[in-house]
Amino acid sequence: MRHFPDPDPGRPSRLSPGHYLLWLARTQLAVVLLGAFYGVIWPTAQALMPYAVGRAIDDGLTARDRGDLLVWAGVVLALGVVQAATGILQDRCALTNALGARYRTLQLVTRQATRLGATLPRKTSAGEVMSVGVADVMQIGRALDVSSRTIGSVASIVVVAAIMLATSWRLGLVVLVGVPLMVWAVALLLRPLHDRQARLRDQQAELTAHAVDIVGGLRVLRGIGGEELFGRRYHAESQRVRHAGVHVARAEAALEAARMLLPGLLVALIVFLGARQVLAGDLTGGQLVAFYGYAVFLATPVRRLSIGASAIMKAYVAARRVVALLALEPEIAPGGPALSGTEDARDLADPESGLAVGGGRFTAVACTDPAEAAALADRLGRYAESDVTYGGMPLRSADVEDVRRRILVAGNEARVFAGPLRAELAAAGPADDARVLAALEVASAGDVLEALPDGLDTVVSSGGKEFSGGQLQRLRLARAVLAEPDVLVLVEPTSAVDAHTEARIAARLAAARAGRTTVVFATSPILLDHADAVALVDGGTVVATGTHASLLDDPRYRALVAREEGAA
Amino acid sequence: MSASSAGLPVASLREVRRHARRLALRHRREVAGAVALHALGAASGLAGPWLLGRLVEDVNDGVDHVTRMTLLICLFVVLQAALTALAMFVSARLGEKVLAQLREEFVDGVLALPIGTVEEAGSGDLITRTTRDVDLLARAVRYAIPDTLISSVTIVLTLGGLVLLGPLLALPALVGVPVLWVASRWYRRRARTAYLRENASYSQLAEGLAETVDGARTVEALRLGDRRFERVNRDIAASYAAERATLRLRTVYLPTIDVAFVLPVFATLVIGGLLYLDGMVSLAAVTAATLYTQQLLVPVDTLLFWLNELQIGGAAMARLRGVRRDLAVVERERAAPATESVDAGGFEVRGVSHAYRPGHDVLHDVDLTIAPGERLAVVGPSGAGKSTLGKLLAGIHQPRTGTITVGGVPVSELPLDRLRTEVALVTQEHHVFRGTLRDNVVLGRPSADDAAVEAALRAVDAWDWASAAGLSAAVGSGGAELSPAQAQQLALARLVLADPHTLILDEATSLLDPSAARHLERSLAAVLAGRTVVAIAHRLHTAHDADRIAVMESGRIVELGSHDELVAAGGAYAELWRSWHGGAG
Repeated sequence: MRHFPDPDPGRPSRLSPGHYLLWLARTQLAVVLLGAFYGVIWPTAQALMPYAVGRAIDDGLTARDRGDLLVWAGVVLALGVVQAATGILQDRCALTNALGARYRTLQLVTRQATRLGATLPRKTSAGEVMSVGVADVMQIGRALDVSSRTIGSVASIVVVAAIMLATSWRLGLVVLVGVPLMVWAVALLLRPLHDRQARLRDQQAELTAHAVDIVGGLRVLRGIGGEELFGRRYHAESQRVRHAGVHVARAEAALEAARMLLPGLLVALIVFLGARQVLAGDLTGGQLVAFYGYAVFLATPVRRLSIGASAIMKAYVAARRVVALLALEPEIAPGGPALSGTEDARDLADPESGLAVGGGRFTAVACTDPAEAAALADRLGRYAESDVTYGGMPLRSADVEDVRRRILVAGNEARVFAGPLRAELAAAGPADDARVLAALEVASAGDVLEALPDGLDTVVSSGGKEFSGGQLQRLRLARAVLAEPDVLVLVEPTSAVDAHTEARIAARLAAARAGRTTVVFATSPILLDHADAVALVDGGTVVATGTHASLLDDPRYRALVAREEGAA
Repeated sequence: MSASSAGLPVASLREVRRHARRLALRHRREVAGAVALHALGAASGLAGPWLLGRLVEDVNDGVDHVTRMTLLICLFVVLQAALTALAMFVSARLGEKVLAQLREEFVDGVLALPIGTVEEAGSGDLITRTTRDVDLLARAVRYAIPDTLISSVTIVLTLGGLVLLGPLLALPALVGVPVLWVASRWYRRRARTAYLRENASYSQLAEGLAETVDGARTVEALRLGDRRFERVNRDIAASYAAERATLRLRTVYLPTIDVAFVLPVFATLVIGGLLYLDGMVSLAAVTAATLYTQQLLVPVDTLLFWLNELQIGGAAMARLRGVRRDLAVVERERAAPATESVDAGGFEVRGVSHAYRPGHDVLHDVDLTIAPGERLAVVGPSGAGKSTLGKLLAGIHQPRTGTITVGGVPVSELPLDRLRTEVALVTQEHHVFRGTLRDNVVLGRPSADDAAVEAALRAVDAWDWASAAGLSAAVGSGGAELSPAQAQQLALARLVLADPHTLILDEATSLLDPSAARHLERSLAAVLAGRTVVAIAHRLHTAHDADRIAVMESGRIVELGSHDELVAAGGAYAELWRSWHGGAG
């Protein structure tokens, strides 16, 4: 078997669904072909089984030849062993193919998601990418999984057809026409059943969502009441699912009857015709038994063939979604010159609002509207194109990679990833414990660390679910501080912490960032009071600047930040 | 009964078996009917090969019974199809009935869990039981049980048919049994953990991708692209290792049972053939026996496949049966001490210490008197024990030492319906239920009319958006999504409508923006005039507006008094107020 993951998943040559599937198959062509080889031998051995049994009866029993009996019985056993061996070898190839396609696609999807970055939610939805990464990846894997089996099925049908036609072409034709007709008829019957099953699954999912809702709100229900209402509703919905289940069972039972009836009657027809031929001397008893076996056997490869066809169709649809995702381009293309040197801290200016941020200073921005703050922060970090300049150079003409390296915008929507806390905090690269602890100290998050069982080695869960809102906010702040960017833009970094902690953070943050440019969007007087300069933004433009103390005389500023009687 | 780590019980194997037996007995007529129908269906299925054997013998002898025999074969095919379909339907109908009953009993049990248990267990375990275990049980009841039943009946009848053909011919069919037995045992012992690991590895892959996608902006901001690629590669390596482990199991198991399936055919041919040559059995018997032996393959395979699934279904049932109404210790619904009405609330907290883990007290010897109708704010750094005090006041936990009484009655001993009229707790955690906006408000007073709902929503400044959406708008998962701030307003509206004597608000407005929060608190205060309110908050204006303020630090109340008193006293609160106020006051 090959080894996964492939360090470099490569790049599909052309972004069309058909090419994508072929490209995947080409990356592991040897395994696909080997699988097809086993895929031919395996059903052939199975198909030869009835033939060998028939010969054992004819040559051994009817002809009363002990030697032939043993020889043919031995052939039966040998065929069984070959079948067992090629069966598992084929499974192994199929799995390797499926995994290769699955893993490679996942790598490409992940790489594309990181390439799109902030653009991702604007160009597609998280749900769409997840459904590609979870469901479509499986469909594509499945197509490669069944590829060798499908090739094998075709081969075994050919082999059996040849044997049958050589034995008795009339009877052979009946089987060759009858079996596909039967498989087709069963598939036709299956379709409405699948619809009903899908509806039942939906209803079942609804019911589950209902129960999950009850569990999620259980504290509320047990605290305030409403258990009876929700219990009654669950019972009613559960009974609806029950009746839908019975409805599906009725269809399933009818289908099961058809599934027994159709092959049964086909076999009866073959027996009838075959027996007449035996009577006429055109066929032996053993051959008749063998035909019975062929008819039973053929249903499997024919069904496999139709499964293979539908798997490839589904994979084609899935591949279309994959290539559509891979074809997306980030809004802000990489390339362009680096921002000019780092010798000293540079000024940051946003002509649109009139905001000027002095290099190396701690600037606070108080916005009357939180949406305005978010938009301004996006411009400063070049998440939206604008005329913002850094050291006089427009951000839009610089390399976005370099902008990201120098200017870090950290808001409360920033994600905490799963992993050891030390590594997750040190986003910019490995940092020694002293620096990590210093950053945690700035964010006043020492108590968060203390409560963790393994300290910095503790593995935090995805999204930091084990932390409260305030703890998470401080961890995010520590991560941003530890990155030590030239310019740090923080949006409401202390909105979820208590006043005691906020006061500590404000003082430590100002000290830790001394000499470097820091912009804090906030309306809390504690933070504003620690800034070198404060700008008040109303209606999208800077309407006043000064220090916190001097601005308090401005009634608009006072109304926004001061928290005394009559101010609200 | 053993307890799981999260504190929710799991039923014992014995209890599960006993319950399964009880269910079977309760529905014995349906069960017997299904078994009989399956047996008749399987028996009709055996007629085909036997008739074919007779036919082969007859035509070899030149006897022409072909038409009659073919008609007989057709008859049995039709009979088998009809009987099997009927049997499937009967057992599915019973299965759906039992399944609905089991899941409804489970949800009733969940709804009766004591508040303290809900708080301690967390929702993870309950959610797994609600989703995964209910699904696993459904799979077992819908597919595993009927298929096992059918296969067992078919195997027994086929073996019976072989014995009828000639006892000697039945023996070769059994040569595969020891191999199958040993191989299946070997496989089943290892398969469960291996496949669980494989499934877990896929959850891990999905979770990693979800992180990358949800955090795409953060990935770009912190330039974490390479790390995310490393993460997916790590997850792929883990998934690949898990896949290889299950593949190794299959590589041993599948060829073994494949050979075990062909051995009986070989043995029947050889032994049956030799017996025939010695004149001990007929040609028809050998032919039929060979076909029967081949036919055994399918039901045996099915049986082996589902045995594992049955075990999993049993484990799921054990977890579901662990949460039952009759098991839930419904301590509050026990006859409570007959107490006089304790109007208007008012708390006496005396010498209360509390620990979640033995030896780690988070509250130390707290004394506090809250007068009826008073508004008390609790402030202090995180970890000071504010939320714990709130939970104890709300009667969710019993204090380790000391007492908390409302009108002389210990809060934690009030019966549930009385407790609800007495005190309610709203926390930062909010939940919007699936249903209409109205449903979400009337929980505590199902009889409330729309006017009352409107009044409650107005009291929390939510009427603007609520009236725009309409009271019948579908919200919660699957409906319109509400912002966290709106969800908090709903939680408060619920409380206003339920109208308990005492409200404990633990950061209940923290998700609103500061000025909206303050406005809400004021309109709420107007509606709640006369009610006792304990507000835990990190925003100091909440404290400023309260009658009295309790400042907590490290599990103790360090300052207590009105805003003006505390500012005048020049202690911790005064210091904080000054800095929070930015030197303006």
